[in-house]
Formats: sequence, C-alpha cells, structure tokens
Amino acid sequence: MTTYQEFIQQNEDRDGVRFSWNVWPSSRLEATRMVVPLGCLYTPLKDRADLPPIQYDPILCTRPTCRAILNPYCQIDYRAKMWACNFCYQRNPFPPQYSAISEQCQPAEIIPQFSTLEYTITRASCSPPIFLIVLDTCMEEEDLQALKESLQMSLSLLPPNALIGLITYGKMVQVHELGSEGVSKSYVFRGTKDLNAKQIQDMLGIGRGAAQPQQNRGGPQNPQSQQLPSNRFLQPVHKCDMSLTDLLGELQRDPWPVSQGKRPLRSTGVALSIAVGLLECTFPNTGARIMLFAGGSCTQGPGMVVGDELKHPIRSHHDIEKDNCKYMKKAMKHYEALSNRAANNGHVIDIYSCALDQTGLHEMKFCPKYTGGHLVMGDSFNTSLFKQTFQRVFSKDSKGEFKMAFGATVEVKCSREVKVSGAMGPLVSLGVKGPAVSDTEIGLGGTCQWKLCGLYPNTSLGLFFEVVNQHNAPIPQGGRGYVQFITQYQHSSGQRRVRVTTIARNWADASTSLQHIAAGFDQEAAAVLMSRLAVYRAETDDGPDVLRWLDRMLIRLCQKFGDYNKDDPNSFRFSENFSLYPQFMFHLRRSQFLQVFNNSPDETSYYRHMLNTEDLTQSLIMIQPILYAYSFHGPPEPVLLDSSSITADRILLMDTFFQIVIYHGETIHEWRKQGYHDLPEYENFKQLLQAPVDDAQEILQTRFPMPRYIVTEWDGSQARFLLSKVNPSQTHNNMYGFGQIVTSSEDSGAPVLTDDVSLQVFMDHLKKLAASSSS
Amino acid sequence: NEKNLIHRDGLETVKPNLQHDFKKVHCNPEVFRCTLNAMPQTSSLLNKARLPLGILIHPFKDLSQLPVIQSSVIVRCRSCRTYINPYVHFVDSRRWKCNLCYRVNDLPEEFSFDPVTKTYGDPQRRPEIRSATIEFIAPSEYMLRPPQPAVYLYLLDVSFNAISTGYLNLFCQTLLDELDKIPGDSRTQIGFLCYDRSLYFFNLSEGLSQPQMLIVPDLDDVFLPLPDELLVNLHESKELISDLLNNLPSLFEGNMETGSALGAALQAAYKLMHPTGGRITVMQTVLPTVGQGALQLRESSSQTSAKNIPHLGPATDFYKKLALDCSAQQIAVDLFMLNGQYADIASLSCISKYSAGCIYYYPSFHTIKNIPVTEKYEADLRRYLTRKIGFESVMRIRCTRGLSIHTFHGNFFVRSTDLLSLPNINPDAGFGMQMSIEDTLAEASTVCFQAALLYTSSKGERRIRVHTLCLPVTNHISEVYSSADQQAIISLLAKMAVDRSLTSSMGDARDALMNAAIDCIGSYSTQLNSSQKMGAVVLPHSLRIVPLFILGLLKSTGFKGNTNTKTDDRVFALQQFKVLPISYLLQSIYPSLYPVHNITEQSEVVKSGTSVRMPPLIQLSSANIDRHGVYVMDTGESVYMIVGGSVSDTFCQNVLDKPNFMSIPDTMSDLPEMENPLSIDLRNFINYLLDCRPNGSTFLVMRDDSKARHLFYQHMVEDRTESSMSYYEFLQYLQQQIK
Ligand SMILES: [Zn+2]
Ligand SMILES: [Zn+2]
Repeated sequence: MTTYQEFIQQNEDRDGVRFSWNVWPSSRLEATRMVVPLGCLYTPLKDRADLPPIQYDPILCTRPTCRAILNPYCQIDYRAKMWACNFCYQRNPFPPQYSAISEQCQPAEIIPQFSTLEYTITRASCSPPIFLIVLDTCMEEEDLQALKESLQMSLSLLPPNALIGLITYGKMVQVHELGSEGVSKSYVFRGTKDLNAKQIQDMLGIGRGAAQPQQNRGGPQNPQSQQLPSNRFLQPVHKCDMSLTDLLGELQRDPWPVSQGKRPLRSTGVALSIAVGLLECTFPNTGARIMLFAGGSCTQGPGMVVGDELKHPIRSHHDIEKDNCKYMKKAMKHYEALSNRAANNGHVIDIYSCALDQTGLHEMKFCPKYTGGHLVMGDSFNTSLFKQTFQRVFSKDSKGEFKMAFGATVEVKCSREVKVSGAMGPLVSLGVKGPAVSDTEIGLGGTCQWKLCGLYPNTSLGLFFEVVNQHNAPIPQGGRGYVQFITQYQHSSGQRRVRVTTIARNWADASTSLQHIAAGFDQEAAAVLMSRLAVYRAETDDGPDVLRWLDRMLIRLCQKFGDYNKDDPNSFRFSENFSLYPQFMFHLRRSQFLQVFNNSPDETSYYRHMLNTEDLTQSLIMIQPILYAYSFHGPPEPVLLDSSSITADRILLMDTFFQIVIYHGETIHEWRKQGYHDLPEYENFKQLLQAPVDDAQEILQTRFPMPRYIVTEWDGSQARFLLSKVNPSQTHNNMYGFGQIVTSSEDSGAPVLTDDVSLQVFMDHLKKLAASSSS
Repeated sequence: NEKNLIHRDGLETVKPNLQHDFKKVHCNPEVFRCTLNAMPQTSSLLNKARLPLGILIHPFKDLSQLPVIQSSVIVRCRSCRTYINPYVHFVDSRRWKCNLCYRVNDLPEEFSFDPVTKTYGDPQRRPEIRSATIEFIAPSEYMLRPPQPAVYLYLLDVSFNAISTGYLNLFCQTLLDELDKIPGDSRTQIGFLCYDRSLYFFNLSEGLSQPQMLIVPDLDDVFLPLPDELLVNLHESKELISDLLNNLPSLFEGNMETGSALGAALQAAYKLMHPTGGRITVMQTVLPTVGQGALQLRESSSQTSAKNIPHLGPATDFYKKLALDCSAQQIAVDLFMLNGQYADIASLSCISKYSAGCIYYYPSFHTIKNIPVTEKYEADLRRYLTRKIGFESVMRIRCTRGLSIHTFHGNFFVRSTDLLSLPNINPDAGFGMQMSIEDTLAEASTVCFQAALLYTSSKGERRIRVHTLCLPVTNHISEVYSSADQQAIISLLAKMAVDRSLTSSMGDARDALMNAAIDCIGSYSTQLNSSQKMGAVVLPHSLRIVPLFILGLLKSTGFKGNTNTKTDDRVFALQQFKVLPISYLLQSIYPSLYPVHNITEQSEVVKSGTSVRMPPLIQLSSANIDRHGVYVMDTGESVYMIVGGSVSDTFCQNVLDKPNFMSIPDTMSDLPEMENPLSIDLRNFINYLLDCRPNGSTFLVMRDDSKARHLFYQHMVEDRTESSMSYYEFLQYLQQQIK
C-alpha cells in the first residue's frame, strides 16, 4: 500500500491531475461541509515523453448524451467484444478493427497505466502556426533596436512553413505587406478609429469575395501565385524571412513629433483590433498568435488607458478604489471584446510589455486571460529578461517540437454522482450544457467545455466539482467516481490531437468515515485552488472581503479537520497532510496577489495572471516562495521562509517565481567586499559564493517568463524583496502584533487578522478561533 | 468683299496710335492689349460705339527678350504704387508725374545713376523707361516669408480604368526623362500620391533601401500617414524617385479597383502641401465615385433643347472650396483629364479654376488605341514638366483714374478689387478683364494700364514682372471704330459668353454673341449716311472679321447648338475660352487652313530660324476644297491633313508612300519620311506648325471619305449645315435683325 503522498505524486506524473480531495464524500450535503471544494488542478499538456503514439481515433460511447471515450476503467467483455461505459453503463460493441482483442492482446486505451493517452487525428488537415507581430514603435532607440534584433532572431526559430505577419503602430497603425519587391507596402490606419472585421477585410482587400488584384493580368500564371489574398500580409517564414529581416532593420521609431510634457500618441487599442480583425477574416479557427510588443501605454483611440499629458499619471490602485479612472472601464470593455473575438476564432494574444511605467496590462489582461497568451512584463526590451524570455517562447521539447499548442477545447465528463461547477485558467467557456454541468457555478461555469486558444506544457486549469449524490442514495460497494478530461488541440506540428485522461476516486461516507476523506486531502492542491478562488474573488470584490472570506474558510477547515478540545487553543493539532495548509494561507493573504497597494494595477494583473495559469509546483512557489541557505556549516538546505533564516554567515537564495534573489548575509558581504574569494587560499569561499549563482542559473534557464534576477546583501536596498516575503518572526511587529489582532465585531462577526503579523501570531490566533466554541 | 476677309498671310495686329515720344515704346500686343486702341473719352461715347471694352493679358508669356533689373530701389508712385514706366512724365530731372494718378513724385538719386558709367544722367536711359515690359528682382520687403522652394506633388489615378489606358507608364517614363529639367534649385521637393478607392502615399526619404508605399484605405476623414517624409528633396532622393517611377506601373498592374477617390486624394494633397505651397498635378481618368467629392453621372443621352444645355456648372462646391483653401496656402492644382467616359469636368475643373491651375483634356486617351492623343499628351506633358513656373504669385492691375476694372476672366482667385491670387503662374495662362469708364477722361490725352506680377521663381527669387500699356484717348467715334482690335474684341466676347452660359443659359450666351455682332454692325451703320450703306452689311475694316468669328464661336464645341456634343468636351472648350491667350483662342475658333498639294511652288520664308515653304491661308469654306487637293488644317490643338478623293497618284506615292488614294489607310498618325522635295517640304511645313506652339498637338492624316472626316469638316465655319447657317446666311440674318 502506497501512501497518499505517493498516490498523489503518481497521479500527477501520469495524468497531470491534482485533486483537493482524493477520497470523495458520497453525499451532496457532506461534500459542502468539506470547506475546501472538491476540485482539481489539471495540466492538459503535461510533458509526457513516454506516451505511445496512437494514430487512430478514440472509441466513443455510443450513448448520444454520453460520448465518453473508452478508457482503462471500462469493463471489457472480451468474448462478446463489448465494453461497458464507466460513466453511463452503456454496453458498446468494439468496432471491427478491434476483433483481435483479448486479455492478452489489449489496445493501449484499456491498459491501466494509460489512464492518459494521446490520439493523433490523421485525417484532419495540418495547418502551420501563424505569428502576427504587433509592434509598438514609440520607444527609445535602444529599446526598439533590441526588440528588432530579438524579432529578427526569432525568425530563425520559427518553423519554415509558419506564416508570419507584421503590424507596427505609433500614432498610426501600419499593416505591412510581406514579400513585395521593389517597393515595400503597408496599409496605414488612423489610431483613433476602431474598425470592425468587415471594414478591415474590405480595406485590406482580403477575405471571402474580395477582389484579387494580382490575378487575370500580367506575368506568367503559375499556380503558386494564385494564393489567398491574405498571404500578402501573412507569408511563410521561408519565403519572407529575408525581406522581413530587412523590413525590421529599416523600421524607424514613430516619426510623429512628441511635444514637451506629452506622451507619444500610441494606438495600441486599434493596432490590436486590426490584428484581431485580420486573423478573424483570414484564418478563423486556425492556430495563430498575435504577439503584441508594447513599450508604453495606449494614449489615444479605443483602448486608451491614459491621456497624452504627462502631468496626468496613469491610474493607481487608489484611483481604482476611488473609482477615479477616466479611461479604465471603456478600455477594459474594448480589450475584453477583442479578447472574446480572438478567443472565438481560436487566436492567441500575447503581451510583451516592457516599460518603466505601466502600459495598461490591467486593462489588457483579458487578452492573455481569455486566449491563453503569454503575459510578459519588464522594464525594457533591451534586457536579458525580455530577450531570454522571448527566446524561450520558441523553445522545443525533447522531440524537437515547439512547446506550444493552439485551439484546444477541454471537455469534462463525470460519472453521474458528480457534476462540474466551473473552471479557472486562461480560457473561455464554450457554453456547452450537458448532464455533467452543475447548477452551482464556480469560476466559469454552466458548461462542460472550455476553450484554450494557447496552451503549453505548464498550463493548468482549476476545475471545480459538485457531488450531487443525495445522502439517502448510497453508492454501491466498490463504486467509484470518474472524471474524464478530453483535450482536443492543434499540436505545434499542425496535427490535430486528442489527449484523454480518465481518473477514478473512491467514495467515502463522511458521516461515518471522515478520517478516510481527510487522509485523501491534498493540501498543496487545496492551497492552489483556494488561491485561484481568492484571486477570482479579488477581481470583483474588495480586498478586505476576500481576506475575511479566506480567514473564515481557514477557520472552518481547522474546526472540521483539526483535533482539539473546545476552547483550548493549545490542544489544537492538525494531521500532517493539513499541517502546511495554514502556512500557505498565511503567505497567500500577505502576498502581492491580495495585498495590492504596494504594486501597480499592471503588476497585480501580471501576478494574478501567472497564478491563474501555472501548474501546481510553480503556483506554490508563487504563494510561498522557496528559501535555500548556503553556508560553511553544511550542504545547501531549504530553510523556513522566516526572518530567523536571515543570518550574517549565510547566503540565501529565494525563488518567488517572479524574482530570484541572492542575498549575502552581513559577514559574507564583508568578506566579499574584501575580496577573499579572489585569494587562492579562500577557494572554498569562492565556491560558496558560486553555488547559489549556479542554482539560480538553473532556475533562470527553465522558468518562463524569465524571473527578475537580484543579487543583494544585508544592507542593500534590494534586500526588501527578501524582507517583504519572509515571515516577520523577529521583527518589532511582534511587539505590537498581538494588539493588532482584532476580531471584527462590527461587520458580520468575521474574524480579521492584520496583514503584517508573524506566522506564529497568526497560528496562535487561528487555533484560538478554531477551538472557540462561540465561532 | 467677304471673300478675302483674311489675308493669305493672316490677320494684321493693330497697335495703339500714340503721339510723340511714347510711340517708340509699345507693349507687346501678344502680352497686353485692349479691345479698343483709342479709349473713348466718355462712357457715352463707348456706349454709342457698342463695342466691348476690356484688356487681355498673357502676363508670364515666354519672352525672348526681357530686361531684368536687380536694383536696391524700385521706383513707384507714392500714392498709387504704380511702377515707373515709359509713359510717365518727367516734370524735371528730379521729379516724375504718375501716369495713373497724376501725383508728382521725387525721383531717387540712384535712379539716374548709371552703374556702368558711374555717372548721373538722363533718367530716360533707364530700362524702366525704355521698355514696356520689365522684370525686377525684388528686395526682401516684397517677401512675407522666405521664398518657397519649388514643390511638386503628382496625384496619379491608378484605378482599373486608369491602368487600362496605359497612361501611367507613359507618365512615369516622361517624368523620368525630364527629371533633371524640372524647374527648381537645390531645395526642390517632389512627392507622389496614387489613388483608386484608397490612397497610396510614398515615403522616398533619403537612406531607405527602397521606396515605401503607404496605403490608406480609410478615407472617411483623410489623414497623412507620415508627418513629413512624403515630400522629399528631389536631389537627395533622386535614386528612390527613379526607382519608384520605374516600379510604379508594375505596382498597379492588373488593379481591378474601379472606384476613384479623387476628392480624398486632393484633401490629402492639400494637407501635404499646406506648409510649403507649390504645384499639385492631377492625372484623372474617371468620374470620382468614392468618398468626399464623389460625383454622380449627370450626363444623359436624352435630348434636351439646345437653348438649355444642362450640367455646364459644377454639381458640388467641394472642389471650389478646396481650391480656395489651396489658394490660401499658395497651392495650385493642375488637372490632366484622360477620361474616355463622362468625368464631370464642369465640377472637377473648379479645383484648378480657383487655385490658378491649368486644365488639360485628352478625350478617349489610350496609349494603344489612340496614338494621336497619346502623342499630344506626351508632348504636352514634356512641356508642362519643364516650362517656366512662378510660385506664390499675385497679379495687380492698375489703370488710369477714371477707368475701372469690373470683371476678370481666367483661373485665379480675386483677393481684392485689383488683385488676383495666383499660387502658380505658368507661361501659357491668359487673362481677360472687362472695364468701364467711370469718369470722363477729357483731361487726359492717354490712359495707361499696368499689370504687375509678383512671383517666386523656381530658383527661389522673388521677382516682379511689370507690363504697362498706354492708349490715346479720343472723342471721335470714327477713331474708336478705326482703332478697334477685332481679335481682342472676339476674345473678350468669347469669355463674356462663357460667363453668360454659366450664369444664365447656353441659349442666352448664343443670343448674346449674336447681339454683339448685331450691335457692332448696327451702331456702325447708324454712323453712316444711307449712300454708304448700299443695303449690305457694312463694317469698318478694323471689325470686318467679327461676324465671321462670332459664327465660328457659335459653331464651336463650346457654344454649338446641337445637344449631342459630350458635356465634358463642351465644358472643356468653354473653359479654354477663358484662359487661352488671344492667338490660340482665335485659332481654335477659326483654324488655319492651307492647301498643301502644291507646296513646292510656294516661296520659302524664314520662320524662327528655319526656312519653310508657306502655303497661303484660305478661308474655312468647302468651296475652297478641291477634290484633287490636299489640305492642312491647324486648330491649335490639332493638325489635320485631309487628302482629296481625286488626289494624284504621284502625291500618294511621294508623300504617303502609297500607290494611290485607294491604298491610303482611313487615318494615319504620321507621315513617312520620303526623300523627295514634296515630302520634305510638306513635312518641313507641318513640323514648323507643330513646333511654333508651346504645347503638343494631335496630328492626323485622313482620307476625304474617312470616318474621321468630321474632325476636319466640323471646322468649316463658313459652310451651311443641317443645324447651322452658312456665313452668307448669317450675314443676312444679322442684316435683318438690324432693321
Ligand atoms: Zn457512456
Ligand atoms: Zn500714382
């Protein structure tokens, strides 16, 4: 018998699924009392180099309302060549090509180890991916130069048959025709006027029924010249890489003069609208990504987020709180509508935003959020952070294939005792009702299918379920609950693929065997799911409300699953698989995800987007950063994210996902200042200094987006990155921390904990509240 | 006597008969002349004569001799700002009396200083006093801003129709050929803007590896795609300009877009040129149908009465308004119409009329199907591209106290009573002004007119060209008649009739022309006793061609009565009457006709340096056309050669390289180069005709039975046609009207 720990790990490795509860309460009522909802984190394209290549279509259950896919949990009648659906119990005949099936000769889809399997639909046509660059030209010369070089470099990384296009913008928006000879051509649009897809189609002379100018006359008629007219703007890389390289090389900064005290006029909103419109009418439902490179905020036209007067700064969280943002709501409406259109057509919008000030990610966040695009934020395009991040977009897996997929739909099928309440992640709802759809909505609900226009090996959905089985309808002995995830997508090779994951979990009666259910609690999955829920709430609710809700949920969980004597906080105990959970919550509630006022709205949007997208491991790092210590006292070791870990003779390496911080303690810093590491006799000190750098490099090389890399020391100004994350166990906060802990009585009696208390204080108070008979 | 109204060598030009010293200094009548070479003393005398009073001026005509003065002092009347001129009176050696307002002015010392001999002497030897036409290089006080550089913007129709005509290639090649000869200096700027339903701008800034085309498809609210790279220095960007001109035809090859957004293109052009001023050249082949300034097809085939010919005026004020905006920013718009179908020249021409541009028209232009028109276009374009040009110009007309100018004719904007705005001035533009006598001129023996044209040369110099015309004053009606300038009178009448056709109707305009002839004859005959009348139409020698030319006008494309004339042809012809200098205008009304079959028998004359055998002029009557003969007709716009049905085989062989009449093609656009005296003399003569005008002409040889023969015969003014009177009938009609 394996431990739950091992079970969870195995399941994650094999299926890319982590459930908050691995034993399911068998009744609706009991399920609602579990506090942490039944849900899972699902990574559809989890890297599985070991999957067998399946070149045929999956076998579907014949019941029209079911259509589940044959999986290892189905009962097989080898003699009758029938299989029974584990979702609806329908008996289905195997198709003729399975006639040789026997217990000795099983097709992959019924072998237990292949609860996840990937099918390649060979009859579907392969289409190369499309990349449409949308490039801001209102930036400093060095930034533009660096960006142009990055883009030129990226041409060599793209598959030769990929289609590529270029839109540049400043005061005007220019759609460049590629591959024209002798005279370069571009279409120019005013940056202040929005155009619908039909208008764009007419004006660019593309799409259905458009006049095809290069036909009928002149030149020999070769079949290759009879291309779609859209190809003037989207050309295969192998055909246009030279001309595009030249075009980029010749690209100048926006030529319109910017007067003193003004921001450049920047038409991000219209540029993006034209990009969406162009793809919409030329390549609907084909994998395509719009890559927006923004060097500043949109200052005119639809989607403007700030006026061009420098004396009026861009909105802050305070402005948002006071509802004092002139442009925000209109801009959000613009970008949200664009994002919906892009998502409907299966197109991805990436935002690469590099500027010292905000660029309007807060307003534009819908773009990556609805389409599964990348969101990258940096100070300048002329930094390794951007350059390496961008290069990583085109990185390949062990099979030499791009780690990007397009146009996915994720469908969820459930056995009849459960229904799906909703999903969270970089996705949109497809609005498909079905028997598996719950009436209770969590996240994007009311559907059993979602669309992810862009997804990557790390992309993870949060899915929430509702147990609908009534208390008085006991589940038969040995019955299990099933969920099937069917992810159809366009592989980077252009192939259509279907990945199917079927999971099964045991039922338990919470009223009699709560301990079984508790034992199946996955505190990490629960923490990440709760984080997504909290952030989801924070997008609409007030910050304090969200914190109150989190606290309430935590206290209730403690009350339900902790061991304690009433009104005796000291007696409180949590079993091991719950023990880290309060700590996660402690860090979550003081994280940048929920404490926004130290950050700009753009940063908040960026952080929240990553949390909503990444897989469990990365999300946990975001919630509770990892801290390693390096010293002469022993090998490097993980240490508590606590101020007590900061000592003079240590080097600390902190990974917050967004930042990698190397911190030299006071003594280390002194030695280093004195140059000991350059002396041959202190070779070991040199090695000690090098060790965290090497470890950091390892993280930097795989992480996407590239984190900010900070090397600092005990009195360095950048040390604040570390100090803001560690538990303030040894600060003056302790001194008055106790006094700050308030049980708010004025609003609905919900407990409120102040933000800057130490973990110890937090825990003490938590135990007190949990054990209290009055709450 | 009506048989020989026109002498075999052409009409004489009358000059004013001035007394004493003034006699030797005459203003060139080609440049500046008055309808009456003796000014009636009073308006009642003028009324009695019933002759139109006005002046005609061709102010920027290419002149072989033009005195140019660079002087720190330009002597002008302190009261009326008249420039000192040959007709002033020197009270003494230090003072001169203005001949327009009679103020006595001091003469600056420098004026009588001769820089060559470094002596003070007689002011009379100054060029200002010795020449009626003179040009000053202006000192800085004549400039409101630094003189503008020469700026040229070409607006090229690239719609389906435009490409089909083949003009674009010809345009690009011609411009490439002439690129080095475009007037200008090191600052000269050039730009291109193509249009169909969209606008196509070109960034040609120095340093680019190839021209950049910027396409603007959204024309709701026209904008420029770049702030200032769309007009470039001609010299710095020459390579890119050549690249573009070489590539332009293939860029639009096979363009299927039929829409034309000329209005938007002009708006964009205005925005482009707005900071500098300059010249916009438009090549338009179709009716603009898209966006601002879009026009409807107004011409319909349904017959309306000849009295009321519709659509002579503009359908919209869009082009006029834009032209006025252009004028205010020193921009002129020149229009080349290359349309086969109706394109509403009446509306489009407004863009040039009010911005002092010029208008060319090549009906049924096609580089393959219509070679004569193509050749004319190419020749015109070469001339157009390289001819002299003046920028940011104004012309002021002053006249002696007692006279007043009240109506102007030509392409310009009237900025104030005597000041015309001419953003561009070109050497082919003519103007007319009507005048009235407000006060008695009894105290004066002469009257003067002075036209001063202030302009910036293509080299960036501010210059003033001054023309002064002096006329004697008379109180004898006989002198008024005898000194009348019939050519000027017909020119002015034509211009006045054009206005009438627009403000009233074509019927009224035709009536007015006939009445002018009737007035002429009628009032003169009242001056005669009955014995002198002898029951026939009597006219003084000085007015003898007026009825004939009025008949020519009534039969011209502009004023003809029938309604199957294409509206564009008619409107263009009317527009030409407003702007053509006298000699071209008269030739278009009454073309020159020469019998050429016996050209070798003519004596040689030397004309502009080459010797030519000149056939005699004959009048435009079919009675003068012999079936055995060959005739050349020169309308100014076209030269036709018609070959009679009974022409000799020798002629066919020697000139046309065909054995006989039957083997001559219907039409030919060229004469073969045959080495025999007949062919050489004839080609010499035709080349002479074609060379002596600045613009190009179509040349067409046709058989007497050709489908195209109407091109020739429509100009036989003296013939009777189904719908028009012969000259004889016309005279009789006039006679009846007088009783
Ligand atoms: Zn089923
Ligand atoms: Zn005066």
